[in-house]
Amino acid sequence: MASSRDDFVIAIRSAFLKKTTKQKFSLLTLIFISVFIIFLSNLNFKIINNLRSIINEIVFRSSFVVSIPENLIITSYSKIVEYSSFYDEFQLNKIQLEELRSKEISNDIIISENNELKGLIEDYSFSSNKILAKVIVDHDSPFLKTIIINKGSFDNIKIGTNIYDKNYLVGRVIEVNFKSSRVLLLSDLNSTVPISITPGNVQAIVVGDGSNSGEIKYIKDNLIEDIQNQSIAYTSGTGSIYKSGIPVGRITTDNSKFIIDFYSDFDQLKYVFVEIQQNLKIGDEKEVDDENLSAAINTEKIKLNILNEEIKILNETNEKFIEENQKLRSQINDTTDKILNLQNKIDNQNKKINQNSIDQEELSFLRQNLIYSSKCQKTVFKKGFKVGTPEYKECILSKGRKLND
Amino acid sequence: MIKFAKHNYLYKVYTFLPIIILYVSVLNEFDFNYLNIDYFSFNFPFILIFYFALKEYNKFDYLLVFIAGLINDTVVGFPLGISSFSYIVVCTFASYLRNITIRPHLIKDWFYFLFVISLINSINYSILFFFFSYDLDIMFYVINNLFTFLLYVPSTLIFNYYIKAIND
Repeated sequence: MASSRDDFVIAIRSAFLKKTTKQKFSLLTLIFISVFIIFLSNLNFKIINNLRSIINEIVFRSSFVVSIPENLIITSYSKIVEYSSFYDEFQLNKIQLEELRSKEISNDIIISENNELKGLIEDYSFSSNKILAKVIVDHDSPFLKTIIINKGSFDNIKIGTNIYDKNYLVGRVIEVNFKSSRVLLLSDLNSTVPISITPGNVQAIVVGDGSNSGEIKYIKDNLIEDIQNQSIAYTSGTGSIYKSGIPVGRITTDNSKFIIDFYSDFDQLKYVFVEIQQNLKIGDEKEVDDENLSAAINTEKIKLNILNEEIKILNETNEKFIEENQKLRSQINDTTDKILNLQNKIDNQNKKINQNSIDQEELSFLRQNLIYSSKCQKTVFKKGFKVGTPEYKECILSKGRKLND
Repeated sequence: MIKFAKHNYLYKVYTFLPIIILYVSVLNEFDFNYLNIDYFSFNFPFILIFYFALKEYNKFDYLLVFIAGLINDTVVGFPLGISSFSYIVVCTFASYLRNITIRPHLIKDWFYFLFVISLINSINYSILFFFFSYDLDIMFYVINNLFTFLLYVPSTLIFNYYIKAIND
């Protein structure tokens, strides 16, 4: 018993403390160091944060380089798939593009109006610039749904900065380094977004489900009935984490759950837009007046451009209508010609039918004439009718003379 | 089979292959997530570290393993030190098994590995959940654990081939 305990102790001591010639540290030392690092990373020391930023910078760049062969394989595969369905997608895109063009103009008008109204009700306004950032690391980890982008504090990115794919919300920045940042995607379990749902204007909070969609949580029971399938969710702006009015996704109902299918496909992110906001406080009147004047001129210019575009599109549609009208006119002419031809044909056929009935009548008269001509014809010895008179014809058709004639 | 001259530059690179693969796998999160199979994931560094620590491979420096853990934390986005701790604990358990085993057996090693990774994943989950308030899906951990366990034997066969090539 004692010897087995000794063996156990020796094995433990050997495992923890024994250093072979090749090892620089014992395992126990390394365990202590790692626990110490975990403890330090739980506390927010500036030195640790800076050190972490430096490690992050180096590791992210190295990770990007190391991932190149794997990414190449994945990209080639997706390209092959893309080419195989290229034509169908092109046709679909063509139709969608037409629809979107018309919608875009009305959107631009609404946005410029919205900006004007915001300027009127707030004493400061946000001027936001969207800059393009490249996704350098995207490993689609099952534990944390994050991506690394190649813009950092050098490009004015701060923790909480909103990230977009086109105009759709993707997530927010949770860690900033000098030239790189980590973005927490909406699909992550730790992501919560306050949203409004239309129709119904229902307020709710969407939480990521760890895969590629989100689930609506924290909603009042009496408002559940207002949510319909395929309702649209956009950010409500509550809590000032995300800007208001950004499209998030569409809602699908699954039994009693409400699932959000995000508009953006997080697996396909190659480039994203980072919104950098700057607060412009209205203090220095002159400066602000100048800025306001230039802003007003700019908005007027934008409006004029929009109106010009609208006129251009209206002209184009008018031309299309005129073309269609001409086509329709020529079609009408063709059809009237056809109708006239058909009418002529009908008349001819009617004539033929009439002629035919007359001929039939004549034929029956001639047949009967052969039989009954002796009864109706006037001779020296017999009373009758002169051949060719209507009375004669009547007599033949009534098969001979009646007694009272 | 490939044979190298012992002082060849290529041979030196070949002897450091496990460490190189470990670094590539932590930098690239080598787990085939892009296949988009639901819940499918496995922890390749655990398999690699356990195997080479168990075999007491002379080029497998624990300090390098520790640094690999720090890199993994940075890539995944976990608090610094978590993966280093996990990797060093795997090394410790493997080292303990090596010390108490007279006649090694693959099946025994395999089930011991299951015990080790289950323990480490539980510790990981607990630290992240209780101390860092991370929201994590426990199902991912369970399935990751299962696939890591299942892939240990095929990986071992490949590593055995490598060790044999080095010793020859």
